[in-house]
Amino acid sequence: MLKPESSGSRARAEPFEPGRRGGLAAEREASLRQRLVARDEQALVELVDLATPWLLSVVQAMLQDRDEAEEVVMHTFRIVWENVTLETGGNAGLMPYLLRVARHRAIDRLRSRRRNERKQMAVALEWGRQSAPPVEPDEAGHPGWQVHAQVHAAFEALPAEQRMAVQLAYFEGLTQSEIAAQLGIPLGTVKTRLRLAFDRLRTALAGLKDWVL
Amino acid sequence: MKAHDWFVEHRVEYATRILDGDDIATFEAHLVNCEDCRREVSRIETELAWLPMSLPPAAPRPGLRRHIIQYVLDDARVPGSRWLLPAAIAASVLLAFAGWTAGRQQAQSLEREVTVLQVRTEALEDTLSVMRRAGRILQTSVEAGDRRGGLVIFADETTHRWSVVVHGLPPAPAGSGYQFWFICADGMVRGSAILVPGAGSTMFTTGMPETGGAVLGAALTVEPLGAATGPPRGRQLAHLML
Repeated sequence: MLKPESSGSRARAEPFEPGRRGGLAAEREASLRQRLVARDEQALVELVDLATPWLLSVVQAMLQDRDEAEEVVMHTFRIVWENVTLETGGNAGLMPYLLRVARHRAIDRLRSRRRNERKQMAVALEWGRQSAPPVEPDEAGHPGWQVHAQVHAAFEALPAEQRMAVQLAYFEGLTQSEIAAQLGIPLGTVKTRLRLAFDRLRTALAGLKDWVL
Repeated sequence: MKAHDWFVEHRVEYATRILDGDDIATFEAHLVNCEDCRREVSRIETELAWLPMSLPPAAPRPGLRRHIIQYVLDDARVPGSRWLLPAAIAASVLLAFAGWTAGRQQAQSLEREVTVLQVRTEALEDTLSVMRRAGRILQTSVEAGDRRGGLVIFADETTHRWSVVVHGLPPAPAGSGYQFWFICADGMVRGSAILVPGAGSTMFTTGMPETGGAVLGAALTVEPLGAATGPPRGRQLAHLML
């Protein structure tokens, strides 16, 4: 559900090699961060160019509303612009920080929407839908594509029931109780599936240090 | 089972924001006093931070990039973003014209520059519209160091926005920066930090603060760097009352 078939094959054909690209990526990120702190507007444009497709992708998948997703992405960049320091994102870097801020904002909106509307998202069980529009064929040349291929491969490697649980929790913003209700399974089963899944993902993603800026 | 075990078991759920509401509050209360859990939650967040990138990138709609830049620069109220000098525009446009022929990388860089200029141009037009509609113009002199400058406020009483010009100031002393304040019924409310470029003047447009009650005037101070919140701590250079 999460992406076209092509990326799986790319993941195998072009494995991500942090060591090979790490120096350059880290150096470029440090430079970008310094320029952002110095209020360099072109650095902001550069960051927007690099990060928007990825932020938009996850937020749009969560909210299922393009206009609202764009608002969240805009707000995410404003938060970064207003608060960026040389330490923002820590060792992980700017991109994980941006992803985290955007996802948290999207979750806030989802939960606010649920509170207001008092209804579950009917889309939660539509396993297999493609929520974000695919990018153009030249996708492999997109900055960050190799990270995507690696992460997607790790996600696809999860057993189906664990993948479903992560999908609902992480990408649909459902709480564990909501997932149990949606799937009609005990809360304890949901917790077990999520723990196993996140343990596997943490192990698989721990080696990802660099975003290819 | 020890009480702390529950928190250890739920670190991942907390870090990924999938805990139920009551549990979130319980966990957050615990985090205040548990360095171990704070560190571990941070580590989990870092490890899983890439997970959203399992989704393929989405192609932004045309114009989104400009909207983002405009939204960020406008609403962040960064005075520098409102700067515009005709000579700078001319130079940048010429640079952009020459750059389009110099390969993709340079073209991309120039495209960014053009985007910034477009945003600045729109910001300037917005600023000028406030000045044109201004029903009141307030000004006072400002003495800083050995220089004498001024603070001018063009107040648009229809849209309740001000265009503020600060001119003739030297660079702020080391370790400090200029700060614009609203004098409100309930006290001083922080406005924009004032970035003083080489020419010694800057201009920005601002709406009225959302807190503090009725706006009675404005002030300019020199604040120690890092004092991004709270009341004025530095020396007042000027103030204006409506």
